[in-house]
Amino acid sequence: MKGKGRFWAVLFTISSLVLWTGIGLCGAPGFDDKEIRIAAWGPQTGPAAPWGSVARAPAVLAAMINEQGGIHGRKLKHFVRDDQYNPAQTKVVVKELVEKEGIFSFVCGTGSAGGLAVKDYLAQNKVIWVGPATSVKEYVFPVQPYLFSVYPLYEDEGSILTKYVIEKLGIKEIGVVYQNDPYGKNGLDGVRQRLDHLKMKAVAEIPVEATEKDLSSHVLKLKSAGAKAVLMWVHPTTGVVLVKTAATIGYKPQWVASNTLSDFELMNKISGGLWEGIITGAFMLPPDSDDPRVVKYREAAKKYAPEERFGVFFMAGIMFTEPLVEALKRVGKNLSTEAVLKALNSMKNFQGVGPKLTWSPDQHQGSDSIQIWKCGPGGKTILLQDWTVNELAHWKKK
Amino acid sequence: MDMKRDYYEDVQLFESNVVLFWTVVLLVFLFTLPLYVPSYRFSLFNLVLVHVILAVGLNILVGNTGQISLGHAGFFAIGAYGTTLLMTKLGLPFVLALPLAAFISSAFGFILGLPALRLEGPYLSIATLGFGLTVTHIIGHWDFFGGRTGLQVPPLDLGGGFILKTDVQKYYLILIITIFLVLSARNLLKTRVGRAFVAIRDSDIAAEVIGVNLLIYKTLSFAVSAFYAGIAGGLFGFVLGFFNPEPFNLILSIVFLVMIVVGGLGAIAGSIMGATLITILQYSLLKNIKEVPYVGPFMVDISSRWFTVIGLENLNSIVLGLIMIAIVIFEPLGIYGIWLRIKKYWRTWPF
Repeated sequence: MKGKGRFWAVLFTISSLVLWTGIGLCGAPGFDDKEIRIAAWGPQTGPAAPWGSVARAPAVLAAMINEQGGIHGRKLKHFVRDDQYNPAQTKVVVKELVEKEGIFSFVCGTGSAGGLAVKDYLAQNKVIWVGPATSVKEYVFPVQPYLFSVYPLYEDEGSILTKYVIEKLGIKEIGVVYQNDPYGKNGLDGVRQRLDHLKMKAVAEIPVEATEKDLSSHVLKLKSAGAKAVLMWVHPTTGVVLVKTAATIGYKPQWVASNTLSDFELMNKISGGLWEGIITGAFMLPPDSDDPRVVKYREAAKKYAPEERFGVFFMAGIMFTEPLVEALKRVGKNLSTEAVLKALNSMKNFQGVGPKLTWSPDQHQGSDSIQIWKCGPGGKTILLQDWTVNELAHWKKK
Repeated sequence: MDMKRDYYEDVQLFESNVVLFWTVVLLVFLFTLPLYVPSYRFSLFNLVLVHVILAVGLNILVGNTGQISLGHAGFFAIGAYGTTLLMTKLGLPFVLALPLAAFISSAFGFILGLPALRLEGPYLSIATLGFGLTVTHIIGHWDFFGGRTGLQVPPLDLGGGFILKTDVQKYYLILIITIFLVLSARNLLKTRVGRAFVAIRDSDIAAEVIGVNLLIYKTLSFAVSAFYAGIAGGLFGFVLGFFNPEPFNLILSIVFLVMIVVGGLGAIAGSIMGATLITILQYSLLKNIKEVPYVGPFMVDISSRWFTVIGLENLNSIVLGLIMIAIVIFEPLGIYGIWLRIKKYWRTWPF
């Protein structure tokens, strides 16, 4: 057994030699005279892959800008990395991008767990992150100096949708189905906020798990509670199953859903046409709209990414990137992270294809408004109500 | 050359000075790794080490005792949540919380070992599968466990305010724990316990006849394996900094099995090689190929012509799958088998 003592002695010596040599981390610079590097992570493979189109879309915007000569002479270069919706992978790919390629700013970024796993790392390395492709309260409260959120809060959405249902549709019996996670609960909070304000109560509040597939008991509960409008903050699959189950028992409330279910073309297809007539919130102009801003992007997508379907989530990727491009334009030739931060922090009522954005040094939740859409025949979008602000929004009262 | 002349030759740590020499070289290399490799690589290396710990533990159960587990993601989750919650809710220091969480995990391993006394093969795999799914479901349901949102991991305080912040510092901690656990596994397998495990694998009836207590050794094997998974899980939390129940899914349990099958069943070196290879392939293979000149655009062209819009990422999965299939078909003993053949070849070289 003499080898053992020698072994531990060697191990101890080596470890004491090198153990505490601290090596500082530092990211490579995110831009040079020729290009500015931006990046997005998102699931490209695996079960969450349908949401991955958000991360790919900024490449179209970058191509558009580069064709016109870039931003003050610098081209935009967009990197996409697949994290399979797994925070462990997000961390690995983000670190590699920041320290090897050098990233000036991240855009989009899908998945709340992955985002929460890397947000502090990005801040430590002074990498800006504009327009996370999801609404997470921890991203904006308390304010994160390097993180600028575009996405409206589900809470505000819930409040605005409830107001619409009560005042415009005149329905008082409201049921809520919410996914048992922060997304669903924030939506529920919004509904409650509005109902409390009007001194009303929901007739049913039903939590579901994202993995639940048999929802007949939930539907029966909604029916027996007499809900005439059902608001849902659920996974797209859950939404389709709910609507289908209700249809089979002849229960036809007005379905109202969160903006995450607003990809009408897709939803109408997977629900077999049942999505028609459903009302949802929306965080940008409809992708099939004739608005010149949307037409411009639709044409560009046809040119630079002909294989992509120009749906809600693809266009959202462009929408999340717009404010960064605007800030880069405002900064001018002398680019630096500090200058762009300053430009973003002074952004006021900026509007591209998304909601009006206002950021200040102590408020990085950019938007408080949504549009309200209705799914028309064949998945066409019908605009019911233009940008609407939640006047009850708690976070704006200071 | 591999002839053993007495018992102590079988149990000694190093078979010869040559082995000792190369082990020292390897260790020096591992401990000085930050000098040669840029620091962003270390979050990947940390994951590799965490998976090595888990694979070594799983191999004790699957490779050496011949039981199967499709629920190791569950033990992994118990380790991660246990360590984090013990530190945040009870205020325990890291050095206590990590082993304690691992013991909780190993208690669950013991309980799961009980059905293993009656169940075999596919039936046992279903039982363990159920366990793995249950754990993440319960965790996702209770707000105490952070629900579906997940948990923020506290700073890694080794005691006395010495906080490990960078990946490189965490790498050293995880490396030392890994070395310790790998050595423990090696020693364990060379004792009476290890031989009992192997006897159960080869034939549990015969093992019982010669006096191996199946109740003790089967549950012990599960408990040891779960302990390793618990330690790995606890460290995994610190590698991530934030986690939710999502990653601890069935696929993860299967990936763990793939690691040891590709690496080599019943061999510690096999678990290490398998875990390293699969982790690196899964996390970093072809991820950056798009930006490589000539090859990148070419691959993008191929994938946009023949695959879906997702493009290159599909290719990664296909290549990863092919590598796994190729290894299992051409070398049933896994990478360890390839290693053995290389060794054998050089032993007689140049004759």
